[in-house]
Order: sequence, then structure tokens, then C-alpha cells
Amino acid sequence: MSEYNLCSLLVHAHQGQMNRVQEMLQQRPGVEVHANTQDSRMIVTVEADNRREVAQQIMDIQQLEGVLSASMIYQFSDDIDEFEPAQKRMSA
Amino acid sequence: MKLTRREFVKTNAIAATATAAGITLPGMKEALANTEDTIRWDKAPCRFCGTGCSVLVGTQNGRIVATQGDPDAPVNRGLNCIKGYFLSKIMYGKDRLTKPLLRKTNGVYDKEGDFEEVSWDEAFDIMAEKWKAAMKKDMAANAGKPVEKMTSTVGMFGSGQWTIFEGYAASKLMKAGFRSNHIDPNARHCMASAVGGFMRAFGADEPMGCYDDLEHADAFVLWGSNMSEMHPILWTRITDTRLTKDNCEVHVLSTYKHRSFDLADNPIIFKPQTDLAILNYIANYIIQNKAYDKDFINKHVHFKKTPTDIGYGLRPDNPLEKKKTGKGGKLTGISFEEYAKSVEPYTLEKAHEISGVPKENLLRLAKLYADPKKKITSLWTMGFNQHTRGVWVNGLMYNVHLLTGKISQPGNGPFSLTGQPSACGTAREVGTFCHRLPADYVVKKKAHRDFAEKIWELPEGTIPGKVGYHAVLQNRMLKDGKLNAYWVMCNNNMQAAANLNEETLPGYRNPDNFIVVSDPYPTVTAMAADLILPTAMWTEKEGAYGNAERRTQFWRQQVKAPGEAKSDLWQLMEFAKRFKMEDVWPEDLLAKAPQYKGKNLFNVLFENGFVNQYKKQTVTDERGNEYANDEMEAFGFYPQKGLFEEYRRFQHEGVKKGHEQAPFDTYHKVRGLRWPVINGKETLWRYAEGYDPYVKKGEGIRFYGKKDGKANIITAPYEPPAESPDQEYDLWLSTGRVLEHWHSGSMTRRVPELYRAVPDALVYMHPADAKKRGLRRGMTAKIVSRRGEISAQVETRGRNRPPEGLVFVPWFDASRLINKVTLDATDPLSKETDYKKCAVKILKA
Repeated sequence: MSEYNLCSLLVHAHQGQMNRVQEMLQQRPGVEVHANTQDSRMIVTVEADNRREVAQQIMDIQQLEGVLSASMIYQFSDDIDEFEPAQKRMSA
Repeated sequence: MKLTRREFVKTNAIAATATAAGITLPGMKEALANTEDTIRWDKAPCRFCGTGCSVLVGTQNGRIVATQGDPDAPVNRGLNCIKGYFLSKIMYGKDRLTKPLLRKTNGVYDKEGDFEEVSWDEAFDIMAEKWKAAMKKDMAANAGKPVEKMTSTVGMFGSGQWTIFEGYAASKLMKAGFRSNHIDPNARHCMASAVGGFMRAFGADEPMGCYDDLEHADAFVLWGSNMSEMHPILWTRITDTRLTKDNCEVHVLSTYKHRSFDLADNPIIFKPQTDLAILNYIANYIIQNKAYDKDFINKHVHFKKTPTDIGYGLRPDNPLEKKKTGKGGKLTGISFEEYAKSVEPYTLEKAHEISGVPKENLLRLAKLYADPKKKITSLWTMGFNQHTRGVWVNGLMYNVHLLTGKISQPGNGPFSLTGQPSACGTAREVGTFCHRLPADYVVKKKAHRDFAEKIWELPEGTIPGKVGYHAVLQNRMLKDGKLNAYWVMCNNNMQAAANLNEETLPGYRNPDNFIVVSDPYPTVTAMAADLILPTAMWTEKEGAYGNAERRTQFWRQQVKAPGEAKSDLWQLMEFAKRFKMEDVWPEDLLAKAPQYKGKNLFNVLFENGFVNQYKKQTVTDERGNEYANDEMEAFGFYPQKGLFEEYRRFQHEGVKKGHEQAPFDTYHKVRGLRWPVINGKETLWRYAEGYDPYVKKGEGIRFYGKKDGKANIITAPYEPPAESPDQEYDLWLSTGRVLEHWHSGSMTRRVPELYRAVPDALVYMHPADAKKRGLRRGMTAKIVSRRGEISAQVETRGRNRPPEGLVFVPWFDASRLINKVTLDATDPLSKETDYKKCAVKILKA
């Protein structure tokens, strides 16, 4: 059992700078870019066992050169086992 | 596919983000389909700023473990700003207060003693003793006086973060129960000038437009607002419009460069206070170029002038107050020609000379407003409001929109933004100000008091008729010993109020006074109190807020408050039980309502047959989840519902129209509604035919807050600020916020990770100014004014870039209290402090 911290962000880059921002994001530990859009927005997750790391990452990300804005969409932090299975949905 | 819980959470997060971005990612739905979410999700408005974003709050095992932007919310459409990351954590700070704390020596109350844990009973005992002593004295002093002359030594300082129910209960307890008008909210520090501007121009508070303007406008002008950091979600909407609409432009005005300048097509840095001159120049340009809407002006506008040279709201013995030649804000009618003449001196040359702004930038801005084809939304926050001419400058903005008829239409309008989640919903609409009664009624008018007394079933003459002490005056009166029993709720005013050294602290520590502070955390204010009451916060109680676009939003209680912490609502209502009517009302008043003899204040104010008619019930959502309501449990009826329904009577049964809210139950089902809500329908653009049900067919526009339906264009000149840099104190100081911390930081600074990210307040300054003083980035500097000094680290490269001659210091840092340095100069009309301008010098520490 350990603390799991996750935050997903929608990161909007200045026009023409998405590729550069995406590269910078992917170099950061625990940060993943899952998809991007034609209008320079990226779907990003930040994960860490330590809350501080997630907080530090999102602070840094919104301040990155080339980032127009970083919006938070989903945030979770609680103790869960890495391998704990998710609950099966009861059949309706 | 089998998912672990971690994978499930992550997949959900990615799917939610894709939805917010408007794209579909393959495989997501299928991956989530077979798994049950064990988190209970329910909506709540965000606890932080005045935008009013809706969040989904995720609860598991009695704790909030997750949050997400509410995809069904019209305000934020699934997004949250990064402050949202900390929402689920603000309630779980390590130093959360869980028991009442009283200053004691040898087991008894002592103002010089140390804090010791006490029971709620003991806390209310000593508090009631102090309140009763104060009121006994007041009753003797008021004997034989008419209500218009009544005085009181009991006061309360409330909040734009109170829920609507709490603000309403507090106002009723103070004005009807304790018979004191000395109740004011911290919204005085942020919104009073906006209110003053609205009342003078339109006779009704709050914006005519709504956030839909952010998509309809062709151009945006920011006047003294750093929306990028302070209202990020609204800024995201502006950014989207700017990037997707042809010829859309953004103009940003400020006294220093900040992050919103990233998007600025016309960036303007002006000298402090000269916004007055710039706005008059724009009006002059519009008139000189005949760009005004003659037909609109004839039909919908009066021209007025206001007294000038009205001082700076300082103590009367201040030399600046002795020098003034004018007083107050009584308006006199003038002609259009006289108005035109009054702005004629503000030529491009003159505006440039006063403001220091290059002529081409000023001209571009004036041309924009004058262009009949451009739909313009002007936005502002504290730059206009925290201004010794705050009411004037709000009015000068309305002048420009009224001259051109660019108002009350989609995309066209002046838009005053708010900083607190319920500055509008609670402070302004309920009217928790020293001059107000619920729903825009005022204590000064007998007819209004009569109306309130009728709804509250009080004998005639219960509510005092004299305007009470406003926020700044409360601190002065505490210091002078004229306010002795004082309750501070839901704010951190020791840190927030200007001139802490000379006014606030001496007031709180005055031995004549007993100071009570209700707070979830040991803030600077709490630590200066004599009694601290531990308080439930945000979703630990059922609540309601009203945002900047007139949207009322409700939430259900999600979790229990820790230890013995109780909501402000419980505290206000429970404390009322401590007072027999004979303790608070004189015999002659009680003789007019003999049925109240022998009863207590709780019986009369809250168990009055109306509020308590709403019986205890189970609170559920549409999915059948059940929620606690600790106040309902404690009092045996549904107090939030009863208070809200009683408050609605002020909106529906009086002479003032246009303030109507929907019934209580509606708000638990919807993502908020913008008042006036008539027949279940919200109002997007007030005063406009086709949108506002109070405007008849054929009227087009009707500013019905004024009797004849016409708004006021009010001329006012440029006048200098109370204090400007001189030889010794050679720099301007402006104060404000930063994105990661919200206001005084009493919530956000409890979150350790946030504290680490932006640990201390910095002094942002121009590198040349630093160099001149032998300072470099990272060195410690002393910021000194005539009133006090603090130390802070120098930042020359950060997100805030002041021009030479000005420094900026945020005020969130309790260990670097910038309000030791600021001046308590206020707008004499709105009584709001100007936190943006005073003179300082900076030395090497």
C-alpha cells in the first residue's frame, strides 16, 4: 500500500510550439503526453508516489516557456496498492 | 481487460481530459465499461475565486480523495485551474483547529494569557458574558434615542466566502437581534467600489452581462486585472476566442507587466492612478470623432457630475483630509455639452503626458472603443476597485460603454469581475454590509427597515437606522475602544487590512475589547484573538455561493468536519440561544411584541415559524446517494432551506424587482442559474429586451434600477493618489496575488507541496532599480514606508515585471506581512482601501 497521486492536465501551447513543449514535457519524470490536438493542446498526466512531486510538476508545467495555459482536469490522491484490482461492475 | 485501481483512476483521468479537449480517444469507453467507480462524485462550486467553476468532488470512506472539472458546468466546461489541484487538500492541513481555544491564565480568561482548549459551552459562556456586558452599556446609552441615532459596541467582520445562508443568518442576528449595523464583509476590501459604481450608474448592483460575452466579443480590454493568473478559466475562454475568431484583439492595461500580457495585441503600462485620465481621453476621443450613439444617449442616459477633491478616507485628523474642499458623492445634472466640455482637456497629448503611455497605444485603444462594428467586453478587478477614486473609475468605464451604446448586448459590455467565491452571492446580494439589508435594501431608509421588519416579524423600530462601521472604520474603532465585542468569521483580516501596525493590531489587543475569530486554521488573525472557534469549511457543510455572473450554485455536505469544528451557520444560530430577549432589547421595544417576552434570540430569529417550517429530511442526489446535514441534525429542521426561502421573500415581496432567485430545491438539481430567475428561466443579459423579462417589447433597453429607466454618465476628473513617491520614499508599491496562493494563503499555505512551490513572497522589481540600490536577484531587501517595513527576496526576472519606479509584493505570506507597509487610504465613497498605491523605499537588508 502506498500513496498514489495523479493529476491530468490539458496543456495549451503557443501556436507552432507544441512539438517543443511536448518534448520538454516527456522528459519530465512521471509525465506522459497521451494525445494532442490540431490547435496545440495536449492531454497530459502527472503521476508520483509523492504528492509534492505532482504539485511541483504542475507548477513548473504552467510556467514552461511556450505554454499558454495549463488546466487541471482530474486529480486523485489516496493510498492504493499498485496491483489492487478495480471493482467489477455489478451486472445491471 | 482487467484493470488495477491505479489503471482505472488513470484511464478515467485521461478520458475526462480528452472530453474537456473535445476529442475521443479510442478504447477508453471499453476499458472503463466493466469497472465500477467506488468513488462517490457530487458537484460543488470551487472554494477559491469568484469565477464559480463547478467541480466534481470525489469522496471515499468519508474523505475527499479526488476532484475533477465538472464537464456539465457552463462556466468551466470540465476544466479547472491548477489551484483546483489543492481543493481536496485544503481541509486536511496538519494544523487544522478542532477545539475552541481561549486565552487563559490560572484557569480563567485573561487577555494576556495563553490559548487553552475549552468546550463549546465554556467558549459561548465567556463570549455571551462579554456580548451582554456590551449590550447593557449600549442600551443605557441609547435610552430615549430615535433608531436613527442608535449606537452599538458590538461588531462583526464577515466574508465573501460565507455561504448565502451564513451571511443571511449573520445579518439577521446582528441587525435584528443585537441591533447593531456594525457588520461588514471582507468584500469591502475588494468589491465596494464596484458596488458604488453600479449603484450610481444603474441603481442596481452587479454586471448586466455574463460569461457568454467571452465568446461573443470581438475585443477584450483588461483594466487592472491579471486574469491569466487570477481568473485562469475565464482567461482560457478569452484565449480560445482570440485564437479562433478573425480580427479578435486583446488589450491589456496595468501598472506592471504580468502574464496576461502574453496574449496582448496592445500592451499598455500606465503610471498608477492615471487610468482616470486614460478613460476620460477615450470619452473625449469618442465625442470629438462623433462616434457616440446619439439615439442611445437620448433614450437611455442622463449626464451628471460628482463633487471633486473629496479626500482619501483617512482619519479626520490626517493633513490630507483637512485640505480637501469637496465632500461625498451627491450628483447634479448637467447637459451633454457640459459633459463634453468636462472631458475636452483630456487630449491624446495630455493623456500621454499624465499616463506615460505611448500615443500610438492610447490611440489604438480609443479607436477600438469608437469603432461601431466592434463588440467589446471590458474586464477589471482590483486595479479599478482598490483605488482612492474607485467609484469614479468604475463610473468612467461605464461612461465609455454608455456613450457608444455598447452595453447589455451579447459581447458588448463592461464586466466587473470578483475575487471571492460569494462576494456577489453573499456579501453583495444578501447585503452583509454596514449600510445594507438583504436584496439591495438599505438601513438608512425607513421604508426599507419597515419592509425587513415585516418579513422578520419584528416590532417597528427594531433595526437601527444609522449606517454602521465599515471594514476600515471597524479597525479604527477597535483601537479607539468604541467597538468592544467583536466577532471575525471566515476571513483573515489581520493580514488583509492595510496599515496593520498602526490600526489593526492595536485594535485587537486593546484591553477594552474581546475578539473572537472563527476559522479552520490558526491564521494571523486567529492568533491575535482572545477566543478562537474551530470552523467547518467548504464541503463539510451544505452551502451556496453566487459568482461574478449572477450565478447561484449550491452544494451538499460531502464529509464530516474534524473534531469539534462547526460551521459558521451552526455557530451563529447556536450562539443566539444564549440571549434572552430581555438581554438584548429594551423594555419599550419588547412591549411592542409581548409574545417575545421570555423567549430567546434563537426562538425569535430562527425558530420563528417560517425558517423552521422546513422539516428535517434526508438529503439525496438524483442517483439516490444520501448526504449528511449536520446543522439539520443539530436544530431539528432544515435551516439552509428555511433561511434561503425567507431571504427570497425580500426578492419577491418588495418594491425592488430584478433580483429573484429560484426555489431552494431547484439549485440542488442544476449547475447554477443566473438571476433574475423568472418562471424558472435565468437571465443572460439584464436590461435588454428579449433577454430580461423586465424589459417590455419595444423598449430595447431599460435600466430599470433607476426609476425613469435611464443610466447615469457621471463625469469625474483625474486627481492624484493619497501618497506618491518623493525624494525619500522613491518607489510605488503595488500589492496583489499570485496564481498558486489565494488571497491571504490561509488555505493554500496549509498544503505543504504548494507552500514549497512558492514559499515566500518576493519583491518584484526592475533590474535597473535593483542595481541602483546595490541589489541583485535573490538578495534580501528591506521595503520601508512611513508606517512599517518588511524584508523580502528580490526578483527581477519573474512572471511580474514592473517598470522602473514601481515594485510589486504579493500579500499571501503571513511571515512577510506587506500590510505593515501599506497605507489605509480609502475611496471616500466606497470606503474600499487602495492597496495598489503607496510610496516606499528599498534598502539592502
